[in-house]
Parts: sequence; structure tokens; C-alpha cells
Amino acid sequence: MRKHAKRALLGAAMGLGSSFALVACTTMPQGVNTSNGSAEVKPGGTSTASATHANTAHENASISPVTISLSLGLITSNPQGQKKMVNDMIAKFEKQNPGIKVTWSTWDSASQEDTDIETMTATGQGPTIMDVGPIPTAYATHGFHVLSAADWKAIGGKSRYFAKQLTMSGPSASQEIGIPWEINPFALVYNKKMFQEAGIKSPPTTWTQFVKDAQKLTKPSKDQWGTGIDPADSIDPWHINWVMAKQLGGDFLNSNYTKATLNSKPVQTALSFWFDWVNKFKIASPNDLDYKSTDLVSAFQNQKIAMLPMQSYAFVPSLNASAVKNDWAYAPMPTIPYGMSKLPKGGTPVQTFTSGDFLVIPTYVQGAQYQAALKWINFFTSVPQQREIFNSIGYLPVNVDAYKNYKPLETPTISMLEQAENHAYPYPFSGNWGNVEVAFGGAANQIADEIATKTYKNGDIASALNAANEQIQNTLQ
Amino acid sequence: MRGEGVQVDFAETTATSTGAKASRKRRSANRMPMWMLFPTLFLLLLIIVVPFLIAVYTSLIDLNQYTLIHWVRAPFVGLGNFIDALKQGSALGASALRSVWVSVSFSLVTTAIITPVGVMAALMVNKPFRGRKWIRALFLLPYVLPVFVIALVWRLLFLNGTGLIDQVLSWLHIANKSTYWLIGPHTFWAMVIADAWGSWPFIYLMVLAALQSISTDQYESAYMDGAGPVRSFFSITVPNIRSILGLAVLLSTLNHFNNFTLPFIMFGTPPSPQADVLPLNVYITSFQTFNFGLGAAMSIITLIIMMIPAIFYIRMLKIGEGATR
Repeated sequence: MRKHAKRALLGAAMGLGSSFALVACTTMPQGVNTSNGSAEVKPGGTSTASATHANTAHENASISPVTISLSLGLITSNPQGQKKMVNDMIAKFEKQNPGIKVTWSTWDSASQEDTDIETMTATGQGPTIMDVGPIPTAYATHGFHVLSAADWKAIGGKSRYFAKQLTMSGPSASQEIGIPWEINPFALVYNKKMFQEAGIKSPPTTWTQFVKDAQKLTKPSKDQWGTGIDPADSIDPWHINWVMAKQLGGDFLNSNYTKATLNSKPVQTALSFWFDWVNKFKIASPNDLDYKSTDLVSAFQNQKIAMLPMQSYAFVPSLNASAVKNDWAYAPMPTIPYGMSKLPKGGTPVQTFTSGDFLVIPTYVQGAQYQAALKWINFFTSVPQQREIFNSIGYLPVNVDAYKNYKPLETPTISMLEQAENHAYPYPFSGNWGNVEVAFGGAANQIADEIATKTYKNGDIASALNAANEQIQNTLQ
Repeated sequence: MRGEGVQVDFAETTATSTGAKASRKRRSANRMPMWMLFPTLFLLLLIIVVPFLIAVYTSLIDLNQYTLIHWVRAPFVGLGNFIDALKQGSALGASALRSVWVSVSFSLVTTAIITPVGVMAALMVNKPFRGRKWIRALFLLPYVLPVFVIALVWRLLFLNGTGLIDQVLSWLHIANKSTYWLIGPHTFWAMVIADAWGSWPFIYLMVLAALQSISTDQYESAYMDGAGPVRSFFSITVPNIRSILGLAVLLSTLNHFNNFTLPFIMFGTPPSPQADVLPLNVYITSFQTFNFGLGAAMSIITLIIMMIPAIFYIRMLKIGEGATR
């Protein structure tokens, strides 16, 4: 009996041991970081008041080092450059701040970015600083710190950053959660050589001129097209159509984001015009109907397409590695709607929406760790690091001073994009923006299906947008 | 006599006592390993039962980006998500029911295509011949390629106009050069073809393993009795591989039903309704529109559907166990 009792106890102990090990793994305290293989217990304060952060940070820093972990988007075009840049910066930062240790990891797709945000929010665990693209969804989770005036001061003050970029940091100036670290304005990229061959002297400034130029550039027998569309992409359709809808005086949501306006006249006109590039004007190839962004970019690089609207500076490295490396140029997006000589009533001269990457600090980061996070952000957005980011991976600085008296950032293309950034407009700051993107993408995909299968008829765009609008309206709160 | 009786009683009592002890010992010995299962049971509880219960709970609450941070306190909506799942789905308007139909059709059609291909390939390389190992290695190539690579390659092949498929079909005068495979009604067949190409080696591997276990004596005896190759195939090969083939077909059907990566890479999101398989629909609902409650309800529906072949599978295993006893 004793033996059996011992075995029973042994079995129970093994079970409990496993349980504790698992529970320990799954409910690791917030101060424990396992990113990039390091596992250290960090002093996590419990104070939430910003005023107390600095004191605790100072005290804790003298006791033991604070570790912060960064989760950055992978630069797929130059992962090695990114690795070297971040490692060098961390070494420099750690030297300047002996009490702080920094580890980092990457997410490699928008899907992973979303999933990481959701996991961090639901579990209260994850990186100290997260790099995110769209802020509205992150804001909707209430899982990230709203920055106080003291916090902004700690990261160089708001004047350090492009003012337009801050319009997407939060729903209002007092509710900002995101600190921008790069700007990503969009513009029209075109092939200078093809323009020259077609006798076109300058890029178009109106959509009417855009169509005329594209018609001159289109030679279907050579599979050469003036422009292209990518309705199978999950993101691109809303990018260009939102810009065109804004120029026409519309938007996807009303001003207080309580009403979906995807079925409004400007949005319908914008989407019709976009598909007319294939359907009516024949300036884009019918093959584009199943294109994603990568297919379109590839077509431009292979000199099949002469003009590509809504492309960012991040496109440059791949352009320089392609057959058009000596022929590409950027120009501002046309702002006058098709068939018009000036903006209609209510229309805005939108060239680009406010786009870029932001850093957010989850609410589970507290005390000394929070202060250390702000120190890193201050360092990362300072002029020397911003210039280093540009030199290493080609991302445009968000720090306005980085452009001053710095030759590499004084090229005509960058000056043009800098101007575009100063005239960027924010898209609706709604937590439901993800739904809007999917619904609009669905409508675009449906119309592409119909055109491809020759079942498209007048009114289909209106009905597709009505259906998308109804779906969005059901989710708005 | 009394003394004898006492002796007998004593002997009986001793025998009974010894028998009871032995029985207890056996029972204890039988019980002992059960204790050793506790860690496994705990892991099963933690890894399977707890997430399942969380999924069931999630399906009954209104969980989205706004309520995620306090997900335990998210509003209870009862069966509301299940009702929504049956009437609405992704932004395209594809309901879970439609996606179920797409997924079931996709998994059945793909399995129907790959089963004869896999069986024939296995029969082809079952008997030794020169270069057999190279052919076997070649057959495994699609299976060792990651699904996302297969999807990317087939996406390029199916591109409209410029893709190899359209070029070849046009050259053979079978179809128009401008046949769209990545949008519209043909997306279903593009998905089936790409998946069949990548998954037939699974059937091949399973059947080959079964074929290798058949004793050559059976074929020799049959040959001596005058049976030809066709008769040998149907009377020896088929009965011997039947159970493994059945299992392979079931597992294959389940795998195809759950295939997310292939349509996700080939068509992106949202896909055409004809390719809006249930896993993709659940993904879009949960992680792109952040309606986790609805996504969980759709997942539970998936689970219920998957239970049907799973029950068949368990029954088959029981039959198999009975046959081997």
C-alpha cells in the first residue's frame, strides 16, 4: 500500500509539476521578456501616473537594468540592412543609457501585426514597444497608453514631428497613442523614358490629363499600358479610391464616423472611374483584373505600365533594382477629378492620406519600463537616428529637422514627397476602419469578377457599394 | 469431521484470501498506470479542452476590437453569433453556409482527384526497377514543398493572359487566352488543381506503405493458381490496402477542408465567393474585421461539420482494432 501511495504521490507530483511549469509559461509576469531569446526579470512599477514614471525610472535604473523589447515591422526589401541598423542603434543607445537593455524582434505581415495587437490586448503580455501601421484599430482596443504632455516632452515635443502625421496619432490631440517614426506619403510614379517616347513633357495634374496621357502611352499590341489597377489586392483599392472620393467631396464615413457613406455619389463615381481605366478608356490591361499590388509593381518594373498612382517612397529600392532603375520619377497625384477643370464643391485637393509607421506602448508597460520606452523613442526619432534610418533602409524621416541642411534628403523627389506630406489628409479615425477596408475590397473584387466574366452591367457598382455600406453600418458603434 | 470441516473452511478461507489479494494486486497493477496518465490528461485539458471551452464562450459573446481588452466581461449575445454566421459572413456577403458548401465541395473533389492518382503512383513504384528511388523522390517533391510556395507558383501559372496555363490552353485551342482563374467562377477549379498537385503524394505515401506490407507469397500463390495481374490486383492488393486507403481518404478530406494557406496566398482577401472557403471566411471575420465572436461561432460550426468524418474515422479505427484482435 505504501508503495502504491508513493507512486500515487509521485504521479500527482509529476502532474502538478507539469501544471506549474505550464502555468508559469503561460502566465509569465509582465516584467519577464523572452523576445530574441533573452529572459530577464525586469522591475515593473505599478504607478500609472506619468508624473511618477520619471522618479521610479530613475530609482529603478540605479538598482538593476531595465529591459525593453521592440516589435518592429520587417523591412522585407532589406532585412539585412534593417538588422544592422537596429543592432547598431541599440548598441549606441545602451552605451548612452547604461541602465537600459533593448531586445527586438519583427513581425512580417499586416496579418501578423493585427494578430500581435489582438494577443497583446487580450493577454496583457508582449513587447514594450510595438510598431504599427494603422492606429485606429490599435486605439479602439484601449490597450495602449494615451500620451500625456509630459510624455510628449520626453520624446522631443510635438514640434519635432510632421504635424500632419500627428493627425493619425489618435482621434484628437488629447487622445494620441501613436508616435510616428517615419512618413510614407503617396505619389504618382511614372516612366520618364516611356513619357519621352510618347511625346509627353510633364506628368498629369488632373485626372482628365491622366487619361489622355495614358491613352497616348497605351500600345496593346506591345502589351504596353498607360496605367494599371489591382482590384484583387486587399489594400490598394481603398487607397486610390479614397483619395479620388475625397477630391470629389466624399468620404467612406461621415465626419463623426457614425454613418457609412460608401454608397455616396463621390465614392461610386471614384470606383466607376477606376474600373473605367479597363472598361471604357482601355488604358489598363484586362489582365489587371486579377492583379494584386505585387503584380502591378512587377508590371511597372518590366516596362509594361507607364504610370502607377499611389506609390510611396518605400517603392524606390525595388525600382532601383529593376529594369527601370534609370527611368522612374515621382510626381504629385492628380487632384482635379475627371472631366472637371477645378475641384467640385466640398472636394479637397488630396494627394495622399496620412501614412507611415507609429510606435505604441501597451498599457501593461508601467513604471521604469515605460520611462525606458520613452527614452528609446526619443532616441529613435532624434535627427541622427532618423537620418541613419533613411540611409540604411530608405524610410523618410518624420523628424522635420532631419531634412534641414542634409544633402541626401534634398533631392527633388524627396522634396516633392515632403510637400505631399504637408498636404496629407487623415482617413477616418474609426476603430472599424479594418471592416471598411475589407468591405470596400470586397466590392472592388466583385466588380472585377463581373468585368472579367463579362457579366458587369450599369448599376452593379452602386449595388455592390450599397451592400458594403450596409455591412459597415451594422458594425459602427 | 468438524476438525476436517474447519480445515476445509480454513483452506477455503486461505484460498479466498490469497485469491482476493491476487485480484487486488492485479487491480492495483492495472490501476497504477492510470496515475501516470495524469500529466498527459492535464496537458490535453490545457491544450484542447480549455481552448475549446474558450472558443465556445467566445462564440456566445460580442467580442470585437472594442471589448477585447476585457473579453471576460464582453456582452453575452447567446446564439446571436450563430444566427449571424448563417446569414452573413465576409464583406462579400458570403455566409458561413455558402463557405461550408465551398469547403465541402473543395475537399471532396480534391480527394476524388488525388486518390486514383496516388494509388496509381504507388502501384507504379511498388515493384523494383532501375531508377525507382529517383522516381520515388520525384513523387515526393510536391509534398515537401511548403504550401505557400505551391500557392505562389500556381498563382503565377494562373495569372490571366501572361500565365502559363492560359498560354498552354490557348495554344491547344481548349480555352481563351483571357480565361480568368484567380477571380470569378474558375477560382474554385484553380484552387482544386493547385491543391491536388500539392497533396496527391499523401495518398501515394500511405498506399505505398500498405503495398510494401503485402507479402509476395500471396502474389506467388495466386500466380501459381493461374491468377492474372488484374485478378491479383482486385483479390489481393485491393483488400490489403483497403483500410489504409480508407484512412488516407478520410484524413485527406479533413486536411483539404482545413486548407487556409493555399486560397489565402492564391486569391488574397477577400476572395471570389467561389473560393471563399470556410477557414478563409473565419480568418477574415476574426482577424480583418475583428468580429471574434462571429468568427468563433463559425469555427464551432466548422467543428461540428468536421465531427462527421471524424466519427467515421473513429468507427473505422474501432473496426480495424476489432479485425486485428
